[in-house]
Amino acid sequence: MITFTLNGRVVETDAPATVRLLDLIRDDFELIGTKEGCGEGECGACSVFVNNLVQNSCLIPIGSIAGANIQTIEGIIETEQFKILDESYSVAGGVQCGYCIPGMIMASAALLSKNPHPSETEIREGISGNLCRCTGYNMIVDAINLAAQKGDGIWQKK
Amino acid sequence: MAEKVTAYRFDRIDETLSQLNREDCAIIAGGTDVMVLHKSRRGVPPKFSKPIVFIDHLSELKQVYQTDKDLHIGACCTYTELLEHPLIPTPIKSAIKTIAAPAIRNRGTVGGNICNASPAGDMLPLLYVYNAKVLLRSVNGDRFVAISDFIQGPRRIQRLHNEIVTEIILPSVLEEGTHVIFEKVGNRNADAIAKVSFAGFMRINKERIEDIRFAFGAVGPTMIRSREIEKKLVGKTLPLADAEIDTIVAEFDKIIRPIDDQRSTAVYRKTVALNLLRYFLSLKQ
Amino acid sequence: MKLNDISTSVPKKDHKGKVSGQLPYISDVKVENMVYGVLYRSPIAYGKISTIQLPNLPAGYEVVGSEQIPGPNYVKIIKEDQPIFASEWVNYIGEPILMLVGKELNTLYRLLNEVKIEFEEHQAIYTLEDAIYRKSESGVTMASYEFGESLEIISAIEHGAHQIIEEEYDTGYQEHVYLEPQGMLALYKDDEIIVQGSMQCLYYIKNALLSALACGEDEVRVIQSATGGGFGGKEEYPSMMACHVAVAARAVKKSVMLVYDRSEDMVVTTKRHPAKINYRTSLDKDGNILSMCVDLFLDAGANEGLSSVVLQRALLNSAGVYKIPHFHAKGFVLKTNTVPNGAFRGFGAPQSFAGIESHIGHLSKQAKIDPLEYKRKYLVKQGDPTITKGNFRDPVLMEEMIEDLLYSSDYKKKKEDFQRFNQQNQRYKKGMGTSLFLHGCGFTGSGERDHIKATVKLVKTKNDHVSLKISNSDMGQGILTTLCKIVAKELDISYEQVFYPDPDTKEVPDSGPTVASRTTMIVGKLLERAARKLKTQWLSGVEQEVEEHYIHREMIPWNEKTFTGDAYPAYSWGVNFVEVEVDTLTGNVRLEKVYANYEVGKVIDERIMKGQIDGGLAQGLAYGYLEKMTSKQGKIQQKSISDYGPPTSLDVVPIDSKVFDNPYTDGPYGAKGAGELTLIGGAPAVQSAIENALQTSFQQIPITPEVIINSLWTKEGEEG
Ligand SMILES: Cc1cc2nc3c(=O)[nH]c(=O)nc-3n(C[C@H](O)[C@H](O)[C@H](O)COP(=O)(O)OP(=O)(O)OC[C@H]3O[C@@H](n4cnc5c(N)ncnc54)[C@H](O)[C@@H]3O)c2cc1C
Ligand code: FES
Ligand code: FES
Repeated sequence: MITFTLNGRVVETDAPATVRLLDLIRDDFELIGTKEGCGEGECGACSVFVNNLVQNSCLIPIGSIAGANIQTIEGIIETEQFKILDESYSVAGGVQCGYCIPGMIMASAALLSKNPHPSETEIREGISGNLCRCTGYNMIVDAINLAAQKGDGIWQKK
Repeated sequence: MAEKVTAYRFDRIDETLSQLNREDCAIIAGGTDVMVLHKSRRGVPPKFSKPIVFIDHLSELKQVYQTDKDLHIGACCTYTELLEHPLIPTPIKSAIKTIAAPAIRNRGTVGGNICNASPAGDMLPLLYVYNAKVLLRSVNGDRFVAISDFIQGPRRIQRLHNEIVTEIILPSVLEEGTHVIFEKVGNRNADAIAKVSFAGFMRINKERIEDIRFAFGAVGPTMIRSREIEKKLVGKTLPLADAEIDTIVAEFDKIIRPIDDQRSTAVYRKTVALNLLRYFLSLKQ
Repeated sequence: MKLNDISTSVPKKDHKGKVSGQLPYISDVKVENMVYGVLYRSPIAYGKISTIQLPNLPAGYEVVGSEQIPGPNYVKIIKEDQPIFASEWVNYIGEPILMLVGKELNTLYRLLNEVKIEFEEHQAIYTLEDAIYRKSESGVTMASYEFGESLEIISAIEHGAHQIIEEEYDTGYQEHVYLEPQGMLALYKDDEIIVQGSMQCLYYIKNALLSALACGEDEVRVIQSATGGGFGGKEEYPSMMACHVAVAARAVKKSVMLVYDRSEDMVVTTKRHPAKINYRTSLDKDGNILSMCVDLFLDAGANEGLSSVVLQRALLNSAGVYKIPHFHAKGFVLKTNTVPNGAFRGFGAPQSFAGIESHIGHLSKQAKIDPLEYKRKYLVKQGDPTITKGNFRDPVLMEEMIEDLLYSSDYKKKKEDFQRFNQQNQRYKKGMGTSLFLHGCGFTGSGERDHIKATVKLVKTKNDHVSLKISNSDMGQGILTTLCKIVAKELDISYEQVFYPDPDTKEVPDSGPTVASRTTMIVGKLLERAARKLKTQWLSGVEQEVEEHYIHREMIPWNEKTFTGDAYPAYSWGVNFVEVEVDTLTGNVRLEKVYANYEVGKVIDERIMKGQIDGGLAQGLAYGYLEKMTSKQGKIQQKSISDYGPPTSLDVVPIDSKVFDNPYTDGPYGAKGAGELTLIGGAPAVQSAIENALQTSFQQIPITPEVIINSLWTKEGEEG
């Protein structure tokens, strides 16, 4: 039995330790916001927070997260930070097909909580593991920049 | 659903070591290499033929500290942790920044990079030129192995099945007066596996080369380093004459034998490796 | 919200669901009594199946193959050459032979490993070169066209010419890497099969299903689910997957889900056709063009698919944006035993533009004129004939667009600065390159009139909400928003009152596929007309419905046999300037600045247009230097995203873009197509920038570091 916190709730699973966190949250917990784009750590669509650090859930065997605090996009939707990102992505036009977007939002939030006023290069580095095939990234970079400005002061709040 | 697997995750390193002593296990640190290597197709967990043991939570394996001029890096330090640590030398930090992307750097460990022993492992060229030592621990105690002996080939390392790599030690790395560079050549600016990499190390005293080392990555089964060739440069004064540089390049030309694969060609790898070497040797200090 | 200016951006209709991740894509869907399908694929490139040995299947696990297909065993597209399940011959590695279905993926993968099929292998054609060499053998040439000036006249001109320049140009594969891998679900019901998934063309799928299932109109239904990128990759390919799941659902009487792994998707789905283009151009002593012959070869892979249509577009663009005297072109679609190639944003045009821009650039060197200046000498103008004796009847703004970029990029000064920089810098070299291009909007020739015959419907409810009933997919390009805007504006109602539910063939007429830069211009125009009609009949509080059908405006009639007439009703235009820095030690190319001007008639939504520019150009640039896919003995070598190398956020730079207004009468609010155009100029501009930096010529894309290092090495050798 593996116990961990998922979106603020303590949960348990008896799935084998090698099961990918990605599959567990999608199949057992029916949280569909975490997407699979490659299954090899190369696209970022499956990004989640593990103890507040963004990681690729397709590479995480659940045996390694016992006791950890896991957050998926569903776990942050209600936060002030998400609302700012949501609005900024809309205003900047960062969303096209949408498949990369939940992962992008997680990477954006991770970046801003570490570095609330990133430079353009730092933004690009922050999302460099998140592949987006539709937008060419620039409007996503703009969105994060906008979120940094609009959300001044909220990023380091917990 | 999925098949049964035995998995261990002990709170302490000694319990982990005793288990390893009892049975051969697959060690998982960050898992960023093993989860890809053992990957199944979509929707199915990766397959392991041995019991697995998780180690990346063990605090004993996550320390960075200094003894004298040596730097000790815990095997399970993640790249992110190292990037944020004040003791880690700048060249290592810049090499880390070329690895994957933030999410992978939040998981991948330096010990994993070494034990995975990929010819394209990006920590390795620098560790070679730093003369890094690997500290292995088992129920029987500790032993130190030079990195160049530890790594024997792609995915082949000198580890007994009851051992864990606990530390990587960089001797004298905190000394002043050395010039160290790392260059990685990948197909794009992030999330790229090296097609060629190069580390150069030089210690100079009044224009005179006191110590010089080179290591090349992704151009052979392991890092390419040659102490004989290096020795020929010790004592020379800078700037090196063209003929001296040509000789060194020609010597490496003989021992670098890369391959063609889906990422690049042998010709490219060799040409670029030698270009980077020549460039390093021609730099005005 | 009432819309004032149509170009002003509005919040996207699908924003909320996408940003929160709660909009389900097909792999997010689970239904009762659902089983998975996995495909057994040919391990060999060409041969005959001799024996099939199946493992013992546990209860609930079944095998589905050609015998279970109620109708004929091919995927209905154009030719009947693509089996649903190969049953006798296999023609490429990865070709589906049978499908195993059952509840647990784990068990399915194990069983898949236990299937044993033996083959009698035959000599395969692995490369385009080989296919060109064997093109007169039966079955190798799948389609060919030839048109233009007579060869006798050209030969006479060449005779008197000062110089004849011949060049051979190669373009590589390009893989879509839509972020959502292909996926399709067939929902089983006693009297109906509903196929749902990631797709661009609902009625292509419906027609393929009607044929494969040999059933009646109301026994199949196709619904688009949220589509995570398409770029052409979900144009014709999903038809095959739809046949797989539908046939299986029929056979096992359960709902069947088929979702590809990324590596499977990389290896077996369609890609941009590799091409070889030969140019033969005669010049006078000042370097002026006297005549030009173009021979173009496309590698179709194992089935014809849409390749003949791709070839048509490639040929139609073979002279680029230039008025070339005495032009002749010929093209072939050739079969190889490799993964079938298909639609990809640009549809043949990117290959042609890369080639012609490269060739013209090289000719300018002969004439010792700056490439851009040389190109401008030949630029078409309003009223000029097209290479197929059609006409550029609308205003052409290319000169204004070029002038604007010369000014904003400070072209002349930059080039001088770069020259100075390059003299002083050993390792890094900077260069600037340009590309000029166009894109014909809509289907080629009379396709819209003869094949597509689009119909659109608007349905109004009692509470005065209006729904668009069309069969077009939003795959990220934003038509959910732009088409609603057109209707809202025309009806003069608020944007929030207009809806665009997921297209479902039971509900929507066939407004055609979502391809060929036709959606805004053609479907948008029909919707505009439908809205106008509805407005005149508008009765508040009453349910109403209006329909509109495509009306063809006759120009110079298109004749596919002679390849003459107006190939397209309208063209969109573009100019790209690109600055790069090349590392001569490693051959790595870094983009420094990108400038882009476009003319697409009228922009329907500025933000969405910018998204098309940035995304399209990122793909186009990468096609020129970054993305590299190769096939060896019939096997795709790059099976992962990293090995293939589409750009990350660190590979792209901000794009300085402008869109020029030039309303087109037959487009909604004057709009023409924009989706494909934005990709086309990237590769040629990046090539000319690299050439400028290194003062050398290349005859291929992608210009990878390997190509650059090889060229520098050769150059060094030549210089001693
Ligand atoms: C998308 C992606 C991009 C990547 N990019 C790069 C890159 O740019 N450069 C690069 O070098 N690598 C890259 N990698 C590879 C990988 O991330 C690194 O090699 C990483 O350092 C591995 O560390 P880990 O802790 O995840 O190793 P794991 O996968 O946990 O382990 C790797 C191997 O080492 C063994 N092992 C781990 N720790 C120990 C120990 N302490 N004692 C004994 N054995 C041990 C394991 O048993 C296993 O055999 C990438 C991987 C992915 C998925
Ligand atoms: S699915 Fe995990 S990184 Fe792509
Ligand atoms: S919006 Fe489609 S992949 Fe990013």
